[in-house]
Amino acid sequence: MNAGPYSDEKVQTFIEEEYVPLKSQCFWKERTELMKQFDISWTPTFLMQEFGGRVHRKLVGYIPADDFLAHLKCGKGMVFFEKERHEEATKWFRKVIEEHPNAGVAPEAVFFLGVAEYKKTHEASALRRAYDTLTEKYPQSEWTRRAQPYSAIPK
Amino acid sequence: MAEIKWERDFETAKAKAKKEGKPVFHDFWFDG
Repeated sequence: MNAGPYSDEKVQTFIEEEYVPLKSQCFWKERTELMKQFDISWTPTFLMQEFGGRVHRKLVGYIPADDFLAHLKCGKGMVFFEKERHEEATKWFRKVIEEHPNAGVAPEAVFFLGVAEYKKTHEASALRRAYDTLTEKYPQSEWTRRAQPYSAIPK
Repeated sequence: MAEIKWERDFETAKAKAKKEGKPVFHDFWFDG
């Protein structure tokens, strides 16, 4: 079945190459065990999970193709970030920023790129760079406000 | 065009993810 973002060739290729794709049908009258397990209360809901089942990202609702691709890449970054694999995480956050600068998730990728770089190098300037990039490129984003404490860090 | 080959079973998908070193992309959908 190809519909919505799945009809985009880049999305198809990315999912095939970087994820194991899984579809689970929902039934509202008698919720499935997986719906209960992962608190699914609206469709579509997308989870990015590791092989043990741990959820690293949960997205709810229709997402246009370019935003979707950016979320898929950011999801890869978050899987590595939450496993403290910061080298790989920064690679994926950079891809989001460079390849999808107008995607809704791009400011979040800038924020976590700064955090991942800081955790990798212990240089606080990485957090300041994230703040500066966010204020310059995404001044209206909530992620810019979240990065505000980093404005006190010297450049 | 690279058609997506969807798994339909969670346990199978997790086993494949472990074997291939990839995360699972899990789409919950409703046919309504």
